Amino acid sequence: MLGTMTPLETTTTPRKYNGTSSIYLPTVATITNAYTETAMEKVFTVRLPGGENLNHNPGQFVMVSIPGVGEAPISVMSSPSRTGETFDLCIRKAGDLTGVLHDLVPGDQIGIRGPFGRGFPLEVFKGKDILVAPGGLGMAPARSLIDEILDNRDQYGRLIVLYGARNPAEILFRDTLREWRGRDDIDLLVTVDHPDESWVGHIGVITRLFPRVQINPFNTVGITIGPPIMYRFVIIEMLGKGLNPTQIWMSFERRMKCGVGKCGHCQVNHRYSCQDGPAWTYAEALAFEEAL
Amino acid sequence: MTLYILPKEQLPVFVDKLKADFRVVGPVKTETGFAFDDIKQAEQLKLDYPTTILPPKKYFLPQREVLFNYHTSINEKGARQIDTEPVFQDVQPTIIFGVHTCDMTGISLYDKVFLEGFKDEHYLARREQILIIGIECLKPCDDASFCKDMGTLTAPPVYDLHMTEVESRYLIDTGSEKGEELLQKYGEVKLATTDDIRDLSRTLSAKWPRFRHRLKMSRDQLPSLLTINYGAITWDHLGERCLACGSCTNVCPTCFCFDVQDELDINMQDGQRTRLWDSCQLHEFALVAGGHNFRESKASRIRHRFMRKGKYIHQVHDILGCTGCGRCERACLVNITIPGTLNALHDEMQLDANPAAG
Amino acid sequence: MPAKPKIAFFDFSSCEGCQLTVIDALQTHLGLLDQVEIVQFREAMTEKQDTYQIAFVEGSCTREADEDRLRAIRKQAAVVVALGACAHLGGVNSMKNRWAIGNVQTYVYGEKNKETYPSYPARPISAVINVDAAIPGCPIDRFEFLHIVQMMLQGRVPKLPDYPLCVECKLSENACLNTLGKPCLGPITRAGCNAICTTYGDGCEGCRGFAPEPNFEYMREILRGHGLSETEIDARFTMFNHYQLQQMGEDAPLSPEGLQSLNGELPTSTFAAPKEAEGHG
Repeated sequence: MLGTMTPLETTTTPRKYNGTSSIYLPTVATITNAYTETAMEKVFTVRLPGGENLNHNPGQFVMVSIPGVGEAPISVMSSPSRTGETFDLCIRKAGDLTGVLHDLVPGDQIGIRGPFGRGFPLEVFKGKDILVAPGGLGMAPARSLIDEILDNRDQYGRLIVLYGARNPAEILFRDTLREWRGRDDIDLLVTVDHPDESWVGHIGVITRLFPRVQINPFNTVGITIGPPIMYRFVIIEMLGKGLNPTQIWMSFERRMKCGVGKCGHCQVNHRYSCQDGPAWTYAEALAFEEAL
Repeated sequence: MTLYILPKEQLPVFVDKLKADFRVVGPVKTETGFAFDDIKQAEQLKLDYPTTILPPKKYFLPQREVLFNYHTSINEKGARQIDTEPVFQDVQPTIIFGVHTCDMTGISLYDKVFLEGFKDEHYLARREQILIIGIECLKPCDDASFCKDMGTLTAPPVYDLHMTEVESRYLIDTGSEKGEELLQKYGEVKLATTDDIRDLSRTLSAKWPRFRHRLKMSRDQLPSLLTINYGAITWDHLGERCLACGSCTNVCPTCFCFDVQDELDINMQDGQRTRLWDSCQLHEFALVAGGHNFRESKASRIRHRFMRKGKYIHQVHDILGCTGCGRCERACLVNITIPGTLNALHDEMQLDANPAAG
Repeated sequence: MPAKPKIAFFDFSSCEGCQLTVIDALQTHLGLLDQVEIVQFREAMTEKQDTYQIAFVEGSCTREADEDRLRAIRKQAAVVVALGACAHLGGVNSMKNRWAIGNVQTYVYGEKNKETYPSYPARPISAVINVDAAIPGCPIDRFEFLHIVQMMLQGRVPKLPDYPLCVECKLSENACLNTLGKPCLGPITRAGCNAICTTYGDGCEGCRGFAPEPNFEYMREILRGHGLSETEIDARFTMFNHYQLQQMGEDAPLSPEGLQSLNGELPTSTFAAPKEAEGHG
């Protein structure tokens, strides 16, 4: 008869291995605050055991778990400058895990692994003018970078933020945007693809904002975070401003299952997005047939 | 390191002695062919086997592996609580007998993937307890083999012991101290004499003509061949044929991609996080939550597989991701083969360079 | 602790084998009853309540009277789940759609009784009402049933494997039946049964429906390699999935004769001979 071979799991007794843990074992963290940001996004404040600092870079992500449901990569929304005993995650209800996550409330525990990946290199950005162009949910990781710059304002040059959302209801962090608008050390332009009656701002895709700003191409770093359909066009605009591919940073979203460069899902050419990314220069991405 | 001889009739004795202290697995006869399985009786072990459906990678990365157990509960304040405990599955002293040289190459790649960068403790725990006893291939498994092209006809240095059948005896090379100890403790072996070694040399040099070349190019050319042919029409032709069944990757000795899934007990509180073999040939592999699929077409997925085998893995780990074992070819119902595809790319390139030739 | 969701089971044209599998599942996983309250299950109990949140429906819709019953279930239940191939796909019942319904009635019930039992072409329940989830298979797999119930209890949208059966078959290290000369629809059939038939040496007949990217053209090519005629290949494709192929219309991957069958136009001469039919009876 076919298929009669010995079952492969002959020992499944749980045991510690040399007292070590596992790279796949999450740290149990606690949600300390949760609020609704838009119809699709909620912001969760998370505390690691003992209030340990997450020690991340803007652009890095954590793997968030709900045992019994699964695990997914989520970008960190807090800047390192505002990360003490807790950090924030802005989570869109987009899939299986995030759907269940949205029902969690302060006091509930979740699993956290990370931070993982290569974030944005602040050392490279220091002293430069920064042009950040997030689209949609890309505003969450962008927020980490922008807050970091605002909190260390004298270490950076100009800060220009061009933000595109599909419609006014999907605009993230409205209160914060209002606050930024009131500051004179940050230039903010927001546009929506599909306005409603209440909308009085810019209309159209994010690339429409680029003619409205002028930059010094010799001393500017461009950063774009968003879906492929958006970053492809933003990059063209940035190149049009005279930035070269090494001055443009981008962040790719990829399916991730492990976060530690093993499972193969997030591979882009020979690199793993979870290890060598998710932040890349456009020059690096150009060398990947698969990326653009 | 050191060559010993074991008379053939002594092999069952050796196996039986090992069984007292180890889980011994190796190729056994099944109704339709051969498979690596537990050796219950020494006579089951068939060292002269052509190939198996699955390579011995299943002992290094089981098809389904528990990573940790969890317990969820609601505390007195109504908050969700989590407890976890790591699980290290299938960790036991294990001897894998009869590993072909191509499959040893696969294992050496696995070691790099799971032990370089972040160390995978689950893999490491099993790996440290596994001893590999290789068998020298003296003839090709069948027509699907192209190990000679891929340079895997010689054992890579992952074996603890490596056996070569020479007439009425096995010449055994020790590849590690553990292997040496194993022979001393469990085997009735003698040091090889000059006559034994002369016979071994004769056996080895006689084997090469039995293997044929199937590639029109050398394996060193594969990374550049694939780079040049990223946009080749061949991928589209393959995409039309492909069944997207994932068989090619599941049977591949170097494919290691996995999915992670939670299993939940009927009490809805306890369960296990597991990892399961996954395949880049399946539709969902590169799909993200927003619905964007980075490899929507079957053609792009097949191309990714070839890029990994012949280029990407080489870029990262400095060895090619194909061992020439031929398993994917045997498993493919629509006759997509690695030599056939690489040769088609080669031909397409010749045609591009010299259109008149077409 | 919130009240346990109330679940109910209903049967339409089917063999009730999927409900038997549910009863089996309760033998091994009695703990399910700590999570849900079964309020209606004709196959297993006599008590009956008409208030329920989750309805499991076995069987296909094969006559007009079925439609009202299905709509009543839909009206009551927050969640409707198609249980098994008949409810999910139309299943083997839809084989009859290949012939004119009157001819089928005459063949089955005889000239005298054909009016006694009303019938029309078989359809999955999703053709009549909205369905929230399906548990495929003939019969269903008990572990998949439990898994899907658990997902619903967690407030998740149940998800089926979206790859072909070959994946599970290879992981079990089965020799491929198609290479052993046994026709198998594994390459175009949705996984999730853990390759139970093929593991025991029977070629897959496609009871779980087509996988999301079925390569029909090359599947036919493989089956031709077994010496099957075009008509025999059509018969294998339509055994469980006739309704799905019907929905594809002229694009259905069938021979010209098979395409005729989509409209119920096969001649009665293609009915199984009475002896043969008995043998399968």
